[in-house]
Amino acid sequence: MDFLSNLIPWQRLDRGLLFALAGLMAFGLLFVYSATYNNELFASASALRQPFVKQAIFYGAGITIAFFICLKDYNQLARWSYVFYWFNILMLTLVLIPGIGSIRYGARRWFDLGVTQFQPSEMAKVAFILAMAQFLSRPKGELSDFRVLLKGIGLAALPFGLILLEPDLGSSLMILPTGLAMMYVAGAPAGFVRKLIGGFVLIVGLALAYVFFVPNDWKPIQLPDYQKRRLMVYFDADYANHYTGPDATDAEIRRARAMQRQDSYNVVQAMISVGSGGLTGKGWKKGIQNTYGYLPRGVAHNDFIFSVIAEESGFVGSTIVVLLYGTIIVVGILTASRCRDRLGRIIATGVVTLLFCHVFVNIGMNIRMVPVTGLPLPLLSSGGSSVVCSLMALGLLQNVRLYQKTN
Amino acid sequence: MDNPDLQRHKDARVYHVGGALLVGMSILLIGLWYVQVVTALEYVENQETQSMRSVRVPAVRGAILDSQGRPLAKDRPNYVVNAYLEELRHHFRREWKESQSGAELTAEERANLEIAVRHRVVKRFTDQLGLSQSLDLSPREMQGHFRDQRALPLPVINDLTQTNVARFMENSWKIPGLELEVASRRIYPSQSVAHLTGYLRRDNTDDAGTLKFNYRLPDFKGALGLEKTYDHLLRGQPGTRVVEVNNLGYRQAESLPVAAQPGSNVVLTLDFEIQEAAMKALVETGAKAGAAVVVEVNSGDITAMVSMPVFDPNKFFPSISVTNWQAYRNAKPSPLPFRATQERYPPGSIFKIISGLAALENGMDPAKHIECRGAYYIGRRAIRDTAAPGMYDFNRAFKKSSNYYFIHQAVGEGHGFEHIIKMGQQFYLGQKTGLLPGQETAGQFPKLSDGENNWRDGDTANISIGQGPITVTPIQMALMTATVANGGTVYYPRLVDRIESQDSNEAALATRMPKGRIRGRLHARQKNLKVLQDAMYADVADDDGTGRRARIEGYGVCGKTGTAEVKTPGDPHKITWFASYAPYEAPKYAVVVMVERGISGGTTCAPVAKKIYEALKARDERTQIAGN
Repeated sequence: MDFLSNLIPWQRLDRGLLFALAGLMAFGLLFVYSATYNNELFASASALRQPFVKQAIFYGAGITIAFFICLKDYNQLARWSYVFYWFNILMLTLVLIPGIGSIRYGARRWFDLGVTQFQPSEMAKVAFILAMAQFLSRPKGELSDFRVLLKGIGLAALPFGLILLEPDLGSSLMILPTGLAMMYVAGAPAGFVRKLIGGFVLIVGLALAYVFFVPNDWKPIQLPDYQKRRLMVYFDADYANHYTGPDATDAEIRRARAMQRQDSYNVVQAMISVGSGGLTGKGWKKGIQNTYGYLPRGVAHNDFIFSVIAEESGFVGSTIVVLLYGTIIVVGILTASRCRDRLGRIIATGVVTLLFCHVFVNIGMNIRMVPVTGLPLPLLSSGGSSVVCSLMALGLLQNVRLYQKTN
Repeated sequence: MDNPDLQRHKDARVYHVGGALLVGMSILLIGLWYVQVVTALEYVENQETQSMRSVRVPAVRGAILDSQGRPLAKDRPNYVVNAYLEELRHHFRREWKESQSGAELTAEERANLEIAVRHRVVKRFTDQLGLSQSLDLSPREMQGHFRDQRALPLPVINDLTQTNVARFMENSWKIPGLELEVASRRIYPSQSVAHLTGYLRRDNTDDAGTLKFNYRLPDFKGALGLEKTYDHLLRGQPGTRVVEVNNLGYRQAESLPVAAQPGSNVVLTLDFEIQEAAMKALVETGAKAGAAVVVEVNSGDITAMVSMPVFDPNKFFPSISVTNWQAYRNAKPSPLPFRATQERYPPGSIFKIISGLAALENGMDPAKHIECRGAYYIGRRAIRDTAAPGMYDFNRAFKKSSNYYFIHQAVGEGHGFEHIIKMGQQFYLGQKTGLLPGQETAGQFPKLSDGENNWRDGDTANISIGQGPITVTPIQMALMTATVANGGTVYYPRLVDRIESQDSNEAALATRMPKGRIRGRLHARQKNLKVLQDAMYADVADDDGTGRRARIEGYGVCGKTGTAEVKTPGDPHKITWFASYAPYEAPKYAVVVMVERGISGGTTCAPVAKKIYEALKARDERTQIAGN
């Protein structure tokens, strides 16, 4: 008994965080089941291969890893952060090599481990937080040195670039606001942070202008076509104007419009799912969009799991989900603010910012606030890497909570 | 040691980040509120549009029954094997995979192969049922259904025989996706009522002012006869079925928010037994065209009404083939018009009932003898008389149908034009009876004003014997005879007795049509009617009467024969008549028989009437025995 009670300081476990985690996992299991119980893709799969069973297994694995993370003080863990970081950079590099990384949905993002697939970008985000926190926790004075800041940017740019090469624009973009928030909290000069934000906005603006207003022939670099189309879907741009010339035939215009319908299909169906859920939803397992296959079978249980939740549990259910994530964010911010040392504060901020970015982009794309990207909803979307790595990140947060020295 | 101020400053930065994140979460909540609460209805509608298909389901059509409840037109269950495409999908897919040769296919080849594969799968399964009937559909028809109505079951074998229904029950459990279902099929058990019942036609028009359906199951509307006149009652109210479909258009679930309301039955005054007897009697004349009407003299109720030749209303369901329709169109004589009401004929000598009554009312003495010669001369025109020369009183002249006598009364004795026209008008000649809308002609009858313009004695002579500008329908003659028989009451004819629910529990709620509606009363003395009735009795009862072939011992048939000559250039022919009622003592029925191109009224039509009376007599005796 003593051994167990001495493993971690149990009394300092954050109840709020545990409660929110339990709630989200319950939602995850219920709705991954609902999204897949009559899915033809899994009809002939064994019980172990059913997504909700796998989800439970990954929850277990993630909790175990998080528990191990909590055994050691984060200050000790941080010493290994660069090793962990470079290990992940290696993985991100390896996954790009044909024959090692495997391709799904047109992107080379996965290691095929036989029983399951592993997506290195998910873990890289956690490694990035840890390494960045370790880097930024140096004496504050050094952060005024431009060269140090530049190194920090380099620390972010490396995984960003590698993930972008997969290509996985969504995942790579998550690194930027996370790094930014960490730098800000670490005490980087305000002017520098402003410049970073400004530069960020400028780059995004230029990129959009490039996609939409520069004629195709003049573009030296072509954005992957599907990314461009996702953006066009988001901005409801008429395909006919972009894919056909001024004197296009009717057939060409029809083809362009048909492509547009096809591309916007997921978003349109997700919107219908969420909207038709109404205030209280249609009831568990009763979502028409999902059971009748309007929501594509391949994405209903992962990237679009929120559509299923929203349709079946309505605004009430979506609010509960948002509040559960909100609880984690509040716990993280409180943890950060109470933390006396900068390392813990930066780690906590990084974890909740990363979590927030995923939640905002994923739920946002279901209601067309954000362009569609292939980002999972942490803890809810079916998918091993995402679940395990989210729990790793939250394990870090819990670790800070356990071992922090408070003001 | 950091100083406390700096510490607070750093805290502020954490709260900045925290604040930004919470603002972000609030934006999400607001967005969700907007989508899920404020504009939720829009998405609910979108979802219904894409996943719900409404199907218009026609009601079971009411039957048309005779007075004894025998069906003249009814919906018969039609056993149909339906294929449920959503259950066959997997088989389609498997077959598709197996028929891949590995060669790259063009889009067109692919599409054709898919069509062939689906047809092959359905064909194989239907063959496995072991029925003697096989797949009714071509791959092309099947593709049409697959493209346009995927959510609906596909009828693959229609109209199963009883044996095949049994076989299906035996074998179907081992074959997926096929179900036996009952649809309706209109049938007309007898052609003798074809013109009355009419027939149906496919109806694809939208119900005015009601909701639009995605699909319509085949529905029919009355195109002729009672099917048309009472269509709104027979048809009932269509129901709505809602089919939920998946993203590929296959059926997932089904509900029936609005059940169809079955149509009402239309019950006629007609007696199918008498109808059949009348038809048989007409056919036995060997003539090609004719009509017979049986009316109850004391109410105007139609007991039978036949027209020859007939068409087969079953051939119009579900739609008539071009060949059949052309055959009907080109047939001579045409089977399409209803000769009892829809065609007009010169009445010939049966009109002497009216010209005779007109003369009697004008004071003619029926007992006074007139010397009739072989022909009546008006100017240089001679009107031949078929009756032998000699002395004739009214009775003898009537039963031997002397033209000379009646022309003499009209032209020579002043019981002429005006009196005949006024009398004819009291019988509503030249007017429709209103019995069968759209299937009736008024006939022709001169007006009093016609007498002012160029009217000659020759014209008066013509109308007094039922020739010239007078044409009538058999129903008009039947009502005329009934009026003479019942002592002067003109009734509206009545064919529909009541409209009642198909549910026999609701029989009490039936809408009854008023019986014996009086159209008018004849201004004629009973004494004169008696003279006329006696003459009609003598025409049949006496051995020298022209109507003697209608005589039935112990059943006082009274009648008048008629043979009108139609002098169509190149095709002169005769319209033969027998207008009658019975029994003499207590008149019950009026029977009028008309045969086109007969030999004479007495030879051709009187025997038909006799057979009809025999059927009526047998029926009445039977019901009397049953009543006792």
